[in-house]
This record gives sequence, C-alpha cells and structure tokens, in this order.
Amino acid sequence: MKPLINIENLAVELQSKVILSQVDLSLQKGEIIGLVGPSGCGKTTLLNTLAGFIAQSAGTIEINTSENQQIKISIANMLPAEERNIGMIFQDYALFPHLSVNENICFGLKKLTKAEQGKRCEELLALLELAEFGQRYPHQLSGGQQQRVAIARALAPQPSLLLLDEPFSNIDARLRNELMIEIRQLLKRLGMTAIFVTHNKDEVFTFADKIAVMHQGKVLQIGAPAQVCQHPNSWQVADFLQLGSWLPVVLKAYKNDLPISSLIGQLANCALVNTLVDKSSNTTLNYQLLVKPNDIELCQQQPDNVIVEHIGVTEQGYHYLLSSIEQHTALAFSHLSFYSQELYVLGDKLAIRLKGERFNLYAVHKHH
Amino acid sequence: MLHKIWFSSFVFVALLGASIHVAANDDVNVYSYRQPFLVEPLFNEFTKETGIKVNVVFAKQGMAERLAREGEYSPADILLTTDISRLIELKEKDLLQAAESTELTEAIPAQYKALDNTWYALTTRVRNIYSAKRLGEIDFNYEDLADEKYQGKICTRSGKHPYNVALVASMIAEHGEAYTLTWLQKVKANLARKPQGSDRAQVQAIHQNLCDISLGNSYYFGNMLKDEKQKVWADAVYINFPNQSNRGAHVNISGMAMAKYAPNKANALALMNFLVSAPAQKMYAETNMEYPVRPGVEPSKLVASWGQFKADNLSLETIAKQRKTALILLDKAQFDL
Amino acid sequence: MLTGNKNTSWKFFSWFFALALMSPIVVMLWGSINTSSDLFTHLWATVLPEYIRNTLVLGVLVALLSFCFGVPAAALISQTNIVMGKQLRWLLMLPLAMPAYLVAYLYTDLFDYAGPVQRLLRAWFDWQSPNDYYFFDIRTIGGAAVVIALVLFPYVYMLTRTAFEQQDRNLLRASRLLGCTERQSFYQVALPLARPAIAVSLALVTMETLADFATVQYFAVNTLTTAIYDTWLGYSDFAAANAIASVLMLFILFIVVAEQRARAGQRHQSSRPNTEHERKQLSFAQQIIASIFCWFLVFSGFLLPVILLLAMAVDYADYNQLVALIATGKNSIKIATYSATIATLIALMLALFQRLHQSRARMIPLQISGFGYAIPGTVLAMAMLATFGPLDHAINDVAKAFDFKAPGLILSGTIFAIVFAFVVRFSAIANGTINAGIGQIPKSLDLAPGSLGVKTLSTIFRVHLPLLKSSILVAWLLVFVEAMKELPAVLLLRPFNFETLSTQIYQLISDERLEQGALGAILIVLFGLLPIIFLNRQKDSK
Repeated sequence: MKPLINIENLAVELQSKVILSQVDLSLQKGEIIGLVGPSGCGKTTLLNTLAGFIAQSAGTIEINTSENQQIKISIANMLPAEERNIGMIFQDYALFPHLSVNENICFGLKKLTKAEQGKRCEELLALLELAEFGQRYPHQLSGGQQQRVAIARALAPQPSLLLLDEPFSNIDARLRNELMIEIRQLLKRLGMTAIFVTHNKDEVFTFADKIAVMHQGKVLQIGAPAQVCQHPNSWQVADFLQLGSWLPVVLKAYKNDLPISSLIGQLANCALVNTLVDKSSNTTLNYQLLVKPNDIELCQQQPDNVIVEHIGVTEQGYHYLLSSIEQHTALAFSHLSFYSQELYVLGDKLAIRLKGERFNLYAVHKHH
Repeated sequence: MLHKIWFSSFVFVALLGASIHVAANDDVNVYSYRQPFLVEPLFNEFTKETGIKVNVVFAKQGMAERLAREGEYSPADILLTTDISRLIELKEKDLLQAAESTELTEAIPAQYKALDNTWYALTTRVRNIYSAKRLGEIDFNYEDLADEKYQGKICTRSGKHPYNVALVASMIAEHGEAYTLTWLQKVKANLARKPQGSDRAQVQAIHQNLCDISLGNSYYFGNMLKDEKQKVWADAVYINFPNQSNRGAHVNISGMAMAKYAPNKANALALMNFLVSAPAQKMYAETNMEYPVRPGVEPSKLVASWGQFKADNLSLETIAKQRKTALILLDKAQFDL
Repeated sequence: MLTGNKNTSWKFFSWFFALALMSPIVVMLWGSINTSSDLFTHLWATVLPEYIRNTLVLGVLVALLSFCFGVPAAALISQTNIVMGKQLRWLLMLPLAMPAYLVAYLYTDLFDYAGPVQRLLRAWFDWQSPNDYYFFDIRTIGGAAVVIALVLFPYVYMLTRTAFEQQDRNLLRASRLLGCTERQSFYQVALPLARPAIAVSLALVTMETLADFATVQYFAVNTLTTAIYDTWLGYSDFAAANAIASVLMLFILFIVVAEQRARAGQRHQSSRPNTEHERKQLSFAQQIIASIFCWFLVFSGFLLPVILLLAMAVDYADYNQLVALIATGKNSIKIATYSATIATLIALMLALFQRLHQSRARMIPLQISGFGYAIPGTVLAMAMLATFGPLDHAINDVAKAFDFKAPGLILSGTIFAIVFAFVVRFSAIANGTINAGIGQIPKSLDLAPGSLGVKTLSTIFRVHLPLLKSSILVAWLLVFVEAMKELPAVLLLRPFNFETLSTQIYQLISDERLEQGALGAILIVLFGLLPIIFLNRQKDSK
C-alpha cells in the first residue's frame, strides 16, 4: 500500500544556516507519529515546512490525498500552504479572537454552501462535545474547550494530514493524559494521519504509534516506541529518551566479546549491541555504556567505589544518584541511577558492580 | 529615587510659580487687533519720547470677550481695532470710558470720533474696487458688481470679513435690506471663485487672469507696490474709487479706545495723544499707506498720487448699526458657500 | 492595594484633578443654556445645514483618506519585503511633526491658481485663463481632506502597524491552512484583528479634524467651526457659540463611544507577538507600486513642506530674526514643558488610581479628564476665561477686603491659563499612553510587593514607575509636541508681550509673510521629530 505521506531527502536552510537535512519519513494512512528531540533540533521547522510556512531547499514531499490523487511538493513546485490539504493545531490554538466558535469552525469551509457548512459544524460540535458553545467567543472558553475548538476547526475541511505543534503543553498536567487518550481515540476513529511534535517523550508513548527522534536537523531513528526504546541506534537517542545512565568505559580489545573496564569493575562475557566501534583505530577513549538501574548491584566484597550524591523517593524504593569516588580520571562519572529499598544518607560510600548480559555501547558525540 | 522625584517636583512647582507674573503697573497695556509689525514702530517711538513701556497682546479675534471676562481687574488700558464695528461692539458692551484731552479734540474731526469721546479713529481706509488694466478705465459703482456682464469676473475675500461686512452694512443703509440681498446674490453669481484668501490674493488672481475685478482696501495697493514680489500684481490693476458721481466711496477706520477699567489712565491718555500727533499720524501714512485722520497731515506721496476722492459721508455709527443685518443677509445669500 | 490615609488623599486628589480638567467643559455646556432660539432659526434656515453637511463630509473624507493612506502603509511595512522598509518605517511617521495649519498654508499657496505649480504649467503650455485647462481646486472640501489626511494619517499608520506587528503569526498561518490565500488571510484575519487599533486612530484623526479652526479656514471650507466663529464674533452670541461647540463635542464623543460599544464583545489580545514572521515577497511590479505609494506619502506629508520651508528660510533668514526666534522659542518650550509635565503627572496619578484603588468609581476620573481633547482650542480658550475670570475676581475681592494690594489676574491673565488649557486639551493623549503602559504590567506585581510588607507608595516608586519609564517618556514627548504646535488657545490667552513660535508663524501667515517665519516653523518641526526618533529607537531596541 502506498504511504499517505512520503518525505524524501528534505532539507531547509534559513539565512544560509542548515536547519534540516536529509530528512526521510513516510507514514501510512491513519498512523500517528510523534516527533521528539531537544529544543532547536528542527522538529517545529519540519512541521512548518510540511505546512508550507517555510520553503525547503532540497527534497520532496508527496501526499497521497486519495487513491489516485497525489500532491507532490518540490523546489520546482512549491505549493502554497492553502493548497496542501493539511490541517494544523497550534500550541496556543490560534483561534480567531474576532470570530465565534461556529465562525472559527466554518472558516475553512468557504467552498461549501451555508447549509453544508452548518451541518458539518454541527457534526463537529457534537463530536467534540462543544454543542452549547457555538455562539461564544474563544476568550469565553476554558483552555481544554479552546483546544477542542482548535481540533474541530482543523478537522472541518477534512485534511489528509493533521499536524499538531505541542498541543498539550498548555493543558493542566492532571487533565493532560485523559485528554490525550480521548483525542487519540478520536483521530483513530476518523482514520486521521497525524504528525505530532513534543519535547516530552511520555506524550509520545501515550499518543503516537511511531516515534521519530530528531537531533541537529536530522531524523536519527524512526520506529515503534518499544522498539526504539529497546534498541536506540545512537547515543543521542538513548540520551534524549533517558533510557539509563551513562558509564564511561575503556575497551580492552576489539572483539565481539571484548572485555571492557570502568571505575566500577570489568565485564567480560556480555553481548554488546550498537557498537559503532571504529575497529581500525587504536584509540581507546570516549566510549560509554548505557546502564539501566537493574544492571547494577551492590557488592560488599569490593572496596567502596561510589558515593551517594542525591536521594529521591519513588514507588520502586529509594532512588539514588551515585558518582565515582575517584573524580580525576577520564572514566569518572556522576548521576548513575540506582534503586534500593535500603536507606543511605548523602555522602555514604558504597561498593557496586555491573551485572547483566546485554549492554548498549556507544561512541560519544556529546553535544556541547 | 523617591527623594529625587520629590525634589524635582518641588523645583518644578517653584519654577512654575516664579514664571507667573502679572503685567507691571507703570507701563501702558494695549490689547490690539492690529498686527504688531504695524504698531510696534509707533510704540517704540512713544517709549523713546516718554520713557513709558508699552505692553501688547495681539489677537485677531476674541479681545472683546477677554476684556469682558476680565472686568474691573483687567490690565488693559488701550484697545486698538481695525474697523468701526469692533469699537461699537466694545462700546455697546460698556467696556470703554471717555478719554478727553485738548490734543484729541484738536486732532480728530467730529465725524471720526464718538459723540461721548469713547472712541477715536486713527486712520481711514477706502474699500476700493480693483480692476484689471486690460478692461480699460471704468467708473465703478459698488452697485455695478451685480451687473451680469461681470459674470465669472469678480474675486473677493470672505464676505464675513469685517471689511466686507462694513461695506454691506453701508449698502443696507443706502438701499435697504431687500435691494442689498438681491445685490449680494447677484454679486455671488458673478464670482469667479468661492470667496477665499486675503485682499492681496484677489489682486494676484487678477494678475493671473483668473478674474478681472476685486474688492480691496486702499492701503494694500500701496503696500503691494512697495513689495518686490507683489509689485507685478499691483501693476496689473487700476485702483478705483467707486461711486464718485453719487454718494462717494465707502470708508472704514482703524481706531482706538480707552478701556473702562484702565489701571494706567494717565499713561493711556499720553499714548492716545501721541498716536494722534502729527509725527505719529505721518508714520501711519508712510508705513501702512493709510489716510491719516488728522487734518493737515498729508497721505504718503504714493497714496496722494491716486488722486482726490469723494468719501461717502454716511456716519460710522450708522454703518456699525447695520452690521448684524449685514451678517444675516450674507448668510441668506450663502455668500461664502 | 491602597490603604489607610494615602488611600483617601489619593482618592481626593484624583477626583479633584479630574473635575478640574472637566470644569471648562461644564462651563461650556452651562454657557450654552441661555441660547436664543432666534439666531438658531436664522442659521438653520440659511447656512447651518450646509455647514453640518460640510463637517460630516470633511470628517468622513479625512477618516477615509487616513485609512487609505495609513492602513496599506502599515501593511506594506509590517508584512512585506518592501525596499528600504527599515527607513520607511520611521519616515512614514514624520508628517506627524508638521502642524496642520502650516501644511495647509503651504499647499494652498502651492496649488492655488496663482501658485507656482499652476503658473509654471501655464507658462509651459501657454495657457491664458482657467478655461484653457483643468486643474483641481485645492480650496475645496476634497483638497482640505487630502491635505489634513496627509498630516494626520501617521496616527493610523503607527497604531495599525503596531497592531499588525503584534498579531500572533499563528493566526495567519492557521488561516492559510484553512484554505485562505495570503491576500484572503490579510482581509479575513489580519485586518479584522487590527480593527481596534484602526478604529482608535481614526477616532483620533476625526477629532483633530473636527476641532480644527485654522486649517479649514485656508481652504475656504465652511464647517461647524465656522458657525462657532460666526455666532461668537459676528453675532456676538457667546451662548449660541457654546451650544454649537457642545453639539460638536457630543458628536465626537458619540463616535468614540459607538466605536467602543461595537467591539465590546470581542477581546483582542496577542499572547505571542509576531516577531520574525515570514514577509510577503513582492514581485518587481508590486515593489514599484508599493514604493511609489509609501514615498508619495513621505514626500507630500513631510519632505515637500520641509523643502519649501527650507527654501524660504535660506532666502529670508537673517541674524536679527534668529535672536528674536530664541526668545519666542524659549516661551514655546517653557509652556510645552510645563504642560507635558503636568499632564503626565496627572495621567500617572489617575491611571494608577484606576489600577490600584478599590472604589467602584475608580475608572471615572481617568475617563472624564480626557474629554477636553474633543473641544476646539478657541472654544476651550473662551471656556478658560469663563472659568478663571470669576475665580480671579474672587481672589482680588478677597485681597481687597483684607486691604492687600489686588494681585491682578493671576489665573486668567498669565501663562497659568495657557498651561491649564493645554493640560485639558492633551490629557487624553497622556492618559492613553500611560494607561496602555500600565496595562502591560502584570497584575500580580500589584500584589506581590504588598505581601512583602512594603508600603504602597514605595511599591509604586519601586515597581510601577520603573516599568512605566518609557510610557512616561512617550506620553511626555507627545504632549510636548502637541503643545508646541497648538495655536488658538495661546493666541487668545497669552499675557502681554508673549509670543510663541506658533503665534508668530500664525501672524506671519495671516499677513502672507510666512517666509520670515520659516525658521521658526522649521524649529517646531524639529521639535516634533523628537518623539518620533525616540519612539523609533525604543521599538528597535526591543
């Protein structure tokens, strides 16, 4: 089956600064994808480029609006925003303050007759439980109601693709989860394809079918959330998704079962995944191991190697952040996560070691 | 910050207080409808002779109202006006007092002052008809302006200007209301353009072929001839003294009066005496090309060269009395619209 | 919140100043009660309908033209990549520095039949009389409207441009995605959103137009203001003049209130100003048309009059004139400084009272103190004499009763009356600017320091005043410039031997000798540039 939207090699330059490069992305009809990444990674620029607010400098965007109709946007054929058949929900909703709720919803329905407009508007008001608010002005509504109006307005012209720019960031944290589920169900019911931007990875896990992690203008990894979490393909992806703590290590030899050593001991017989290890090089520096809390255990036999620098309370017991006692080597670390039912106090010294069999090892490209 | 603000506010109020001061009492204070550049040379001369300082406020409008509001505490001693109506208005509002001296009595002929000596004329000016030289020499009557043959040929300033109002008032005194209204309507129909600008601007329009005939005071002709730029305008026209074969040309005056509550009466009288003295009258004649009222003082050579003329001997009070009626007729004829 | 002793004295002074500023209006309305019906019947039967028609036509035309000049200019500068946009941005504000009566004089002189333009045309084409060719008549309502609009449109331009620039760009984007082209988005979203700014500025422009005596006179256009003159100076009927002026004022207030009512239901507030929005790229032809349009406005509203003045100044300026100019300039600056300072202080006091006080009627002082803007300067001057005349009499009578020397007319006969008149007339400007500034301060700041136990007054000095610094300065400068330009009130109220730049220019104009006042006129224009330069610098640093 043809994808609904297919983005190939998309690039954007603004004032001769590269904002996006080599972006490839494709979505099937009805899929919801969440774009995440640190601020400045280009995710909002990508949305604006798709919407037609920013001109691409290379690449193509294809949208299959129906079985035999296709929109193809390239440098040679820059379609203006109003001809792309795309809907968008803005962070602050961007409701027209001078128009009532009804008028806002009908704004994109100019081509329909008045009667058709009225019918469509009523349907959407009913669908979004806004029936009694049609005559009101946006400032007379609550934040959640405003968002519903924004959704109704975006859906009214029946776009083939819906873009959502941080749609939940203005919603009270307690209502947020409930609302996300509600809206996800609505989109699924309508079979709407959607691209959704957020800086909050938890929103993606609740709202999206797929996740795309962006960094410095590139899409690093796309996939189902579970798969990406299990197999982050780069240090940045793992770091952004906060999948564990980072432990600096030294490789002893370049074999598959190669032994590694760190300030909390050595590992010999473990599987290392994702090792983008440059095997030709003899440099032994700048590798980090992704360590999940249950990869660590206490080990009384050893001399103490870490010190408690922070204590938090969670449902899984006490959460400690540990740093190495020795701080003046290249292997020194801090903020290593560790859970325990035991209570320690700040400054306590402990002995820990690594356990487990599978680890992700990365060459480090720490951004500054 | 707080102290700084209090301090500067205090200084500010103190400064404002210090800059409010009331006119001094040993001078003579003049409210003038006449332009400062016309009267200032005279005042300077007066100060030089007597050592009395002259303070002036000039305004084209509203002086009578201001004087009335100020009442008995008004600092004004002398009022100078540019036409008879203002003087009568001031008198009717009881804002004037009689001023008497032998100099005044000797200098001003009876027809140029109030019976009760509340006002005196200083100069006279004729309401002339200017005509393009291309028309040839014509003997005009004011009545002729209504003649159909001048359709689209006449220019004038606003009918509501005091000079024109006084002319209309004299027409009413001569011919009655009904005739004057018809006359006004016909003159309006003859206008080349809506009434606008000053008397000089009408002569300029004649020079530019926009029209052939205009109304204007006599002294403007002299002043234009003296002005480098405006001489060409004046050269394009004849100055005509109307109605020479019947009642004579309409004459208006500029005048002076003493305020009812003048605080510096002696100084005021000294200034009045000075303004009617032969040297001052000569200055009027020379600087602004007006006709001095004092017998024996000749008009300037230029003005004299326009020849003798017959003036309408209608009394000034009569003209002033018809002023309101004149305004009503001007409204009725929609002269300015 | 205000508490205790400060509370009552603040309240007292707020009401005191507001009522003092209201008093000339009350006096004017009171003075109109004894109107004789005879004169009205006569006027109504003859000229009044025509005057009213002219007034309405002039008001509507000026508003319409200011809209046609100001709104497209604002749109071009804020939304497109017009060539030299950065320069045009502030150049388009410059006409504000020109006094309307001055431009009116220069233009009627320039385009008159006998003026240089038509003379030149006649010389070129060898035309002899007006029947040989067509040339528009500048001394018509249309001519007056164009010239007045050329000087006043910057109000519309400034406020509308700011409105456009502060619009949330996402609103425009949303409308694009809902199927509107750039042009449709502008008409359906940007323009309606700018409506309050446009309406407020048009109301300002209309007020200025209707209250203007001197300017329309040069155009030989008879309006209601002519009727006020006629009744007062011609028929000596002060009551009728007051009545007509009252009608004019009520008419203006009606416009203002009607506009406010019309948009009562809507609220326009932008949460995210449109800082680096995408500008429309103009095609070559569009660039040319847009540039011609903007430069035409700058040229005819500012450059041409200034060039004419400069040419005159170069021809006629001499040393003596300069010396005289310094004295009159000092007077102008003196009264303008007093007026600006007092108006700003009162505006601060009233606006803070409205914001911080808890009494139910706290809005009233601020509102009523601004009414004076709708009164023509001459009528205001008369009302001033009617207000302070009796007060002066009372003071002198009391002084006499206690055997002191009578102090004279210390209120109505000194610059106090002029400054007071200016404060009454221009309070609306200071109030508007400062109130807008206060509106930008978050309400939470009113409470926060209070909860820290700091006294209210020092809260105001430490929190509000520093935050209002630029609003205060803008208000001060705007009033200062208006006061430098104002004419009729000074003309009638000034004490002996007191000339200002504007009265001097007016006298020279009325004797058709502006050449000799050109330097002074240029000085007024230069002072008028100050707030524009300041406003511009402030916007840029933001």
